[in-house]
Amino acid sequence: MTEIKPQDIEAVIESFDSSSWSEMRLKISGLELFLSKDPSARAPEGTHAAARVAPIAAPHADSAPLHSTHATAAPRLKPAPHPVEAKGGASDVPESWIAVRAPNLGTFYRAPKPGAPPYVAVGQRVEPTTEVCLIEVMKLFTSVPAGVAGFVRKVLVEDAELVEFDQPLFLIEPA
Amino acid sequence: MLKRILIANRGEIALRIVRAARSLGVETVVAASAADRDGLAAQEATRAVVIGPAPARASYLDARLVVHAALATGCDGLHPGYGFLSERAALARLCEEEGIAFVGPAAASIEAVGDKLAARRLAKTAGVPMTPGSGKLDCASDAVAFAAAVGYPVVTKASAGGGGRGMVIARDAKALAEGFERAAAEAKDAFGDGTLYVERYVERARHVEVQAMGLGDGRVLHFGERDCSLQRRYQKMVEEAPAAVLSDGSRARLHRAAVDLLGSINYRNVGTVEFLYDVERDDFYFMEVNARIQVEHPVSEMIAGVDLVRMQIEIAGGEPIGDRQEDVALSGHAIEVRVIAEDPAQGFRPSPGRISLWRPPSGEGVRLDSAMFEGATIPPYYDSMIAKLIVHGSDRQTAVARLQQALAGFAVEGVATNIPFLRAMAAHPDFRANRLDTRWLETQFMPSYGRA
Repeated sequence: MTEIKPQDIEAVIESFDSSSWSEMRLKISGLELFLSKDPSARAPEGTHAAARVAPIAAPHADSAPLHSTHATAAPRLKPAPHPVEAKGGASDVPESWIAVRAPNLGTFYRAPKPGAPPYVAVGQRVEPTTEVCLIEVMKLFTSVPAGVAGFVRKVLVEDAELVEFDQPLFLIEPA
Repeated sequence: MLKRILIANRGEIALRIVRAARSLGVETVVAASAADRDGLAAQEATRAVVIGPAPARASYLDARLVVHAALATGCDGLHPGYGFLSERAALARLCEEEGIAFVGPAAASIEAVGDKLAARRLAKTAGVPMTPGSGKLDCASDAVAFAAAVGYPVVTKASAGGGGRGMVIARDAKALAEGFERAAAEAKDAFGDGTLYVERYVERARHVEVQAMGLGDGRVLHFGERDCSLQRRYQKMVEEAPAAVLSDGSRARLHRAAVDLLGSINYRNVGTVEFLYDVERDDFYFMEVNARIQVEHPVSEMIAGVDLVRMQIEIAGGEPIGDRQEDVALSGHAIEVRVIAEDPAQGFRPSPGRISLWRPPSGEGVRLDSAMFEGATIPPYYDSMIAKLIVHGSDRQTAVARLQQALAGFAVEGVATNIPFLRAMAAHPDFRANRLDTRWLETQFMPSYGRA
């Protein structure tokens, strides 16, 4: 495999798109491709952040044709406005931090009941099973685990706010 | 008037509802799955929220999720579209409890017509003609005893649902006894309930249905009937309005039957009453009520000059509707074909993917209901219908000619579609002469397709 054509990339994007995979990282002969169905996903460390241009497909390579591939792969791959960007905090977020995401649409609650202390505070250490918040759907409350061990670095959503499926709720620095 | 409605659906019908609401000055929130966040409906709506992942059971089929989304985004109405949750009484009831206007019938009406045996009792009480049919049957021998009384052929049907599941046609006692167990198992698989009933089977039938709208004050209007006889595996493929095969007398009796049935339960909002038309006997029998806007509603809109989705939103918002039946004037003939991303050459296998070229027809008497565009992706998770092509002309012959012309100019690349199949069907002499019945497509046309 000496030369990878824009059509090849497009074919990979299409297969990924129609698959049930949520994320894909591909490394072949000097090309690194990071695909995610989550617009706020960031390429893992080592993959340079072309994510600013198009959060869903963030290829990294030296050759220019990739950008034109982007243009033709629109509109599904257009960057969608997203809470993380909206809060303007994305640019100073280290790429190693991991987002805890909403499992479905619902109302976000930081504490088990009104007036009680929140499940977690910024700076607190969490384990993968640590409950970090509740998501309420029609009075049915589901707790969300951190899913990763580390330190809570940011709380991205206000208490009692509506969150959408897959929306980042917390940023955790793995440790 | 409603202020803001949540649309719990996707694709062309979600877009259709967004536009109808907009024409009334009603805001829209599209509740989309992650696969549809960039769809045309989500783009054109006032707002879109992603309620869950792509699989429908975790997004479009979760009633609590869509009602929560409606409440949290300040909606005072909810339109369910068709399919998904549209005929779940539980959703309508949840809306009623939460003070959200459900853009559809009352939960009690959905229940009253939702169970097929209950609907048959209702129709009987309202004096609507029925095919001779049994009540719930416990075993094959009861079915055989019933068939001996009404005569063969007979067909088994599932009490809990349709779509061809649990249906076995039997021409004698032996076939019925054998088929009964198979049908019960199939019904149990599909609906979780293996209860069957048996009806007399009509050999040459047309599927006709009346488009009705209950105004909520006891009045029920109708917008004529449709003929949906062209079906593949009990899925409609072509729909026409009016049903040109009917005599004027039968047509008037058909409309009367539908209005009487829905009027008897003070039905509110949109509904369709389906009948089986017995071509040989020039008689019709009640089949079922669909308590939702249907895929094929545009053909009725074309001949009646109304916007049924708009009317639905007005009725749900409590707007008084001044129209009387005599104000409904039907004119011309309309035909709809369902354009599906499937490959007729490969056993109609679904063909999801990206549309690389999209050139739909346009012109006088041509309407396209679609949420597709060049570059759009058809996700693999849902129904693969990508467009409804609707034509209207002064009579059936003109409409058929327009259909042929429109299909000839319809270019789609990137995914396989049934357009070539529809072209061949529209050119067939039987179709042009309206020599059709519910089995024509499968038994006459399909075997010849691809051989010519």
